[in-house]
Amino acid sequence: MKRLFKWLMLLTVLMLAVLVWRERVHLAAFPGIIGGFTAKEYCSCRYVARMPEDYCRGYVKQWLPATLADDPLARRVSATGLGVSRSAVWLGEREGCRLLTQEDRLASDR
Amino acid sequence: MPRLSCLFLLLCSSLALGAERWPSPQWPVQLADSTAAQALQAYAFPARDDRTRTGIRSDALLVVRDGVIVHEAYAGATEASTPHLIWSASKSLFACVLARAADQGLLRLDDPLARHYAPMQKHPQVRIRDVLNWASGLDWQEEYEFAPLRSSVVAMLYTRGRADMGAFAAGHPQLHAPGTHFRYSSGDSNLLAAMLRERLGERHADYPWQALFEPLGIRSATWERDASGSFIASSYVYLTARDLARIGLLMQRDGRWGEAQLLPADWVRFMRTPFVGEGVSPGGGVPGGHWWLNRTPAAQPRPWPDAPEDTFAALGHWGQGLYVMPSEGLVVVRYADDREPGFDANRLLALARAAYGRQAQP
Repeated sequence: MKRLFKWLMLLTVLMLAVLVWRERVHLAAFPGIIGGFTAKEYCSCRYVARMPEDYCRGYVKQWLPATLADDPLARRVSATGLGVSRSAVWLGEREGCRLLTQEDRLASDR
Repeated sequence: MPRLSCLFLLLCSSLALGAERWPSPQWPVQLADSTAAQALQAYAFPARDDRTRTGIRSDALLVVRDGVIVHEAYAGATEASTPHLIWSASKSLFACVLARAADQGLLRLDDPLARHYAPMQKHPQVRIRDVLNWASGLDWQEEYEFAPLRSSVVAMLYTRGRADMGAFAAGHPQLHAPGTHFRYSSGDSNLLAAMLRERLGERHADYPWQALFEPLGIRSATWERDASGSFIASSYVYLTARDLARIGLLMQRDGRWGEAQLLPADWVRFMRTPFVGEGVSPGGGVPGGHWWLNRTPAAQPRPWPDAPEDTFAALGHWGQGLYVMPSEGLVVVRYADDREPGFDANRLLALARAAYGRQAQP
């Protein structure tokens, strides 16, 4: 009985490992969704649609928690969800906001 | 005597102008307050609960009849001056931008995308018309917040694809032969956007304004771009309700704005022709050329049975809609923040038709 249980456990772990490997690209990107969504949509809500702060905080609220930091002078919004932080910045009347990429962030750090 | 004939001419010309009204520069407004109009208003704007975010949550409702605003209401934080996000209704606007480019001889419906956009050389058979039908045949997963892990669209907008959405979409494998199988895809729309960027080069950044928005008198438009500079054709146009209605009036009048035929007739026809092929579910949306139709290819139930057959629409996430009913002379804009299903577009159109259509009781 104990051996059967061990085998079942091993099988489960193995199947899980295969699943994780198959979905590795999706899984690696997944934690960035909440921060990305929150930063981009909050930025656009505030600086493109010009909605009130409270409204925009409610508007971007998802089923997973996120923290949000807005720099109104730079019109730059950062958000962290699932431990991953993303930023979006307002670029102009026609261009609105853009979610920054890894390259953007390296460039702005320099 | 010459004075009299002058007066006569003036009278004739004002009558001729009166026959067709345009928002140039401002929309003419003649609001009504019939019982039917109140029923429409009551359906679109039930008591709003911003804490639970349940039920029908309209932000704006605008009805235009024959070029005149007859109904206009806003709720929540949205006002007449708010450039509201239209989400996927952006796709239909992008089709109009491409139609302008075709009018200027820059591209044709039958062009393979690969002719203008190198990353599509992996898929050399895919034509502009296939992609406008959402029938590129690429293996795309269009799911939103309920299945975010494998969602191509979430990855495109927020994670792996955000730097260059066109290249991200082009990187998907071919699942079906191009033009044979409908599969709703935001990637398809952004392939078209990347293609236009490559085709236009330097002129690209101002093109939607020059080609489409400015001729229509649209002043509120924002169209966000990805890091490569391409317009996010799938998702990110912001417009006031009044400005979105201008696109509706353009489409109601077959691509003509005043004296100018802005969109080529064959493009307008194509946008409003139902796609014939696999993958279209009966009773669901009927895809045309990046617009949604009420005309079905076979004897299938129409998506909006209480609206005329010639109805078509630009539709977006969370309840955004631009509906055009040419035979009723009506354009309806609805902005919303619907966080759960429940809103019934058929009901809205039936009520708008009863209040303001050709048979409406004043």
